[in-house]
Amino acid sequence: MNTGGEDATLQEAFETLNQAAPYAKDMYQNHFFQVAKKLAESREGIQKLYDYAPQFHEAGVFEGGPWEDPSKLQPALVNGSLRVDGLESIVALLSELRMIALAKEKHTHPEVSARDAKKYLNEVMANNLDFIFPEESGEEAEQQQQGKETERAQRLFSLMVDELSLQSISSTLIDEIKRLMVQRPIMTERIRLMIRKAEQLLHEDVEEKDRQEIERFHQAISTVTARSKEHDHVSGYRKQLQDLDKNERSEEAAAFGESMRETGLVSPYHVALVRFLNRNGEIKTLQKALGLSNKGYSNLEEHFETVQELIKVAIHLPTRQSLYGLARMLERGVLSQPPVLPGLRRLIELDIKQDVRKTLMEATSSEQEGLTANDVLTAGVISVLGQPLGIGQGLNPTCQSARALSLWAIHDPGYLLELIPRAARDGDIDMTFEGAPIHSENLPGGLAPELHKELDPVSLVLVPHLDRIYADMVRRVQFRGDDPHKWVNPAFYGDWIAKGFSKVFQHNTQNVVDYRGFVRLFYATHHREYNEGHELIYPNPVGICVTTVYGNFLGFHAITIQRIAYDPDDTYRVYFYNPNNDSSQNWGQGIEPSVRGHGEKEGESSLPFHEFVSRLYAFHYNPYEQGDAFAVEDEKVEEIERLARESWGQKFQWV
Amino acid sequence: MTNTKQDIDYKTALIGWSLPSIEAMDQLQRPFVIVGPPHFQEYADKYDLPFIAWDFDHYKENYSMEDVCDQCEGLYQILKEENVGLAIPLFEDTVEWAAGINAKLQDDPKIFRHSLLFRHKGKMKRRALMGGLKVGVFEEAENKENVRQFFRRVNDAMLREGEEELEPIHFKAFDKAGDAGHRVIRSEMDINQLEDNAFPGLLESHLDGVEVSCEVFIHNGKIQFLNITEYIVFGYSMMAPPSPEIEKQRKKIRGAVQRLINAFDIQYGLIHPEFFIDEEGKISFIEVAARIPGGNIFDLIKKTYQFNPFQAHILCSDPNTTEEELKDFFPKEKKARGHAGSLMVYPRVENIEKLNIPQELEEHPGFERHTMFTPVQRKVPETEGFGNPHGVVFFHHDHHDHVKQPLRDYADYDFYM
Repeated sequence: MNTGGEDATLQEAFETLNQAAPYAKDMYQNHFFQVAKKLAESREGIQKLYDYAPQFHEAGVFEGGPWEDPSKLQPALVNGSLRVDGLESIVALLSELRMIALAKEKHTHPEVSARDAKKYLNEVMANNLDFIFPEESGEEAEQQQQGKETERAQRLFSLMVDELSLQSISSTLIDEIKRLMVQRPIMTERIRLMIRKAEQLLHEDVEEKDRQEIERFHQAISTVTARSKEHDHVSGYRKQLQDLDKNERSEEAAAFGESMRETGLVSPYHVALVRFLNRNGEIKTLQKALGLSNKGYSNLEEHFETVQELIKVAIHLPTRQSLYGLARMLERGVLSQPPVLPGLRRLIELDIKQDVRKTLMEATSSEQEGLTANDVLTAGVISVLGQPLGIGQGLNPTCQSARALSLWAIHDPGYLLELIPRAARDGDIDMTFEGAPIHSENLPGGLAPELHKELDPVSLVLVPHLDRIYADMVRRVQFRGDDPHKWVNPAFYGDWIAKGFSKVFQHNTQNVVDYRGFVRLFYATHHREYNEGHELIYPNPVGICVTTVYGNFLGFHAITIQRIAYDPDDTYRVYFYNPNNDSSQNWGQGIEPSVRGHGEKEGESSLPFHEFVSRLYAFHYNPYEQGDAFAVEDEKVEEIERLARESWGQKFQWV
Repeated sequence: MTNTKQDIDYKTALIGWSLPSIEAMDQLQRPFVIVGPPHFQEYADKYDLPFIAWDFDHYKENYSMEDVCDQCEGLYQILKEENVGLAIPLFEDTVEWAAGINAKLQDDPKIFRHSLLFRHKGKMKRRALMGGLKVGVFEEAENKENVRQFFRRVNDAMLREGEEELEPIHFKAFDKAGDAGHRVIRSEMDINQLEDNAFPGLLESHLDGVEVSCEVFIHNGKIQFLNITEYIVFGYSMMAPPSPEIEKQRKKIRGAVQRLINAFDIQYGLIHPEFFIDEEGKISFIEVAARIPGGNIFDLIKKTYQFNPFQAHILCSDPNTTEEELKDFFPKEKKARGHAGSLMVYPRVENIEKLNIPQELEEHPGFERHTMFTPVQRKVPETEGFGNPHGVVFFHHDHHDHVKQPLRDYADYDFYM
């Protein structure tokens, strides 16, 4: 019998749970969650739940489950949890309410201060702008299916915004946009979405400084110049370009070129301008429009005919980001490598397999835009050659393949330009492993049988093949007495990878063995002061233990060391490429990879040498370039061991 | 609450893992130890619960029920060391274990053999029949031929031979709880479908009527409290206390229960017998278990009679519990607070796509709460019999119709799609 209304029901469910002994909470949680689910159907209901939030922890709402310890929670997982149809989304909602209570000092926890909680929630809000600013429309079917969970999450965030205010996230949001932008990913959808969301903050009471930043971002993806602002559509601007004189066009070019250089983002109006200049062969103005340095310009001049061809084929509205790739490619001087020109020309007329064609068109929203799959693929290759560190794995567990593409784009574009047509035209690529040929077309599965399609064109074409080959190589050596990567990496990535291999874990037992020896070996092979001055020439694919902001072990991840050098402040740093395109996560213990301000090149992240070593678990080295391991100071080794033991090391046995 | 901590100098062993029973023990402040499957060790350690891991499954796979008397020696030694004075079974297949321990504690081997009466449906029926309870015609079957003969004899006696609709018979496993191993045989074809490993088993003629179960708390051979549960849709829903028509016959039912207690010579604990009551009010005995009933019946009792039946179970199992304690503990059987019902939900799909709770249900005056969330594990496991329910809907109302009607209406509703 439903008597007493929801207040009484909530109170009763809460009190029953509250009074239960810790071991018995399990019996009463379900009912409390049911009541919470019902209440969460309205904004007032969520408010009522929030009134109890300071007592959630004490009452055992989270007892025995993964939400028990708030210090272990990950802002990045909140979105996924809230979308689950089932119990998880309810517990996640209650957990967020507890975190708000912590941030507002209505509740305390020994390991999570109000500041920690605020920081956590700011990150949660920045990650969940969709819930804060719901999209007006969407796929109808999707809405119906996800409706209840989405609406519930929106109500939660409405409370969160009321409690914490929007201004607090405006700077987070701007930082987040900048942080992602500065890494210059090839795929810019996420950044663009955030900018569009940030635009909505312009109607809120935000600081003038933030307002200007948001406007700058907004312009970068739309109308950079006063003249472009006059037109709602690119076609109008395109028409006007003919009426401008050379100087005026030069002004336009300079403004668009500068905006692109600063943000890495390309406006659709920019495309119209560049295509116009290209048609008319205005090479000088084109230099400005591409924001090229003298070096870039000399490359443009040298290969102008090819570049003109490439712009004609590849730079369109849907593929506009490749304009930035083109500029970077010219700066890198890639076109001067002998196989590159014919390799690019081959793509324009390549006979692309039908399924690949379909994937390329669909994934890049290029249908009904008058583009061909060859246009899309060529644009993709330009991006990859221009932004080798902008390649990302997307939402796929394929960091290995992304690392490979990046390495080849830098050191062997000719090889990459061989692989692409093989996959796109023949549906097969082959590699040789210890004398045996491996053909991808004969292989099943791989890590990502269902590739998430938000990827750049080159990854779309190649990753399914590379992933299968990598998995097959690992399969072939998995029962040997050591880590398969030792043999697989040099065969897969190429002979640039040194044959020596060291790992902190004992194979099979996963125990940490001889950690100090591992650290000394890395110093003796990679640190200039201990390895007899050898420089790192080719990127080194290494394994790291990613840790949470609290230093807890989160998982293994594959990254590449790009270079090791002193930064402008004379700190010796490791510069690395992280294929997840989100490199500046906080790893706890004050270890925060940075993406700018410490001499990083576009797409690189970096850490001081010893901090990097504290997260490292496997690396390759050249045994012939090994210095004196004993020279490494004990204090350094001990400090690194402490950092490792007190973070990811807690998860493992040390012997 | 009773406070007997001081005067009890022995521990009670709960045989089987059940949080409500552990909680009840804790609330009664009686010294105890849990004997449960090893995978509960971690949980017990986390919460500092006194726990002894015992791999019941291992014995179930390798020994017969009758062997438990010898096989429990090791456990007995451990419990003796722990100063255990009494063992209480919580589940069907721990009944003989608890009895084996109690037999050794009291040095009376008969206690163990007595427990097998509840675990072997053939023995059970014979004992009931000899004690004067009305039961169906029954036989033990070793093979399909025995089944065929019994089926023919029953139909011969009912003069049904050659008719289109034959008199059905029931085949039941000797030692399974609930409806596991239960098959209704309506034709010779059904007999062919019985699997060879189902034998031996019990054959029984069909009885008609309303089915009820009783939850009887017994101390010193006397009924301390009798709850009657009405089965609304067999296997799906039940209500306690029952509809007024059945409630009117409480005295008669009590009589049948008392006869059962006498026939089985039961002194302490809880029994859970099932009966048919036909239109003329004739009561037939179906079977009896000496454990906590399924189907959330204890929750229904708790809701309507406002006492904790898990505590009652413990108090009645212990001969040392005093008359006064019991008198204070149990309410009057006539003083129920409305009617409570439970509806067990079983998915009828192989893969669950979503949960479908109709708004009319949640707005029904008798609706109290339900326990369902869309599960993480979308694949529904195959089970014999009904298996474990995927959720329960609870009802509660002063008027039995507001409970009984939805229990009937929603029994075939698809909550999982």
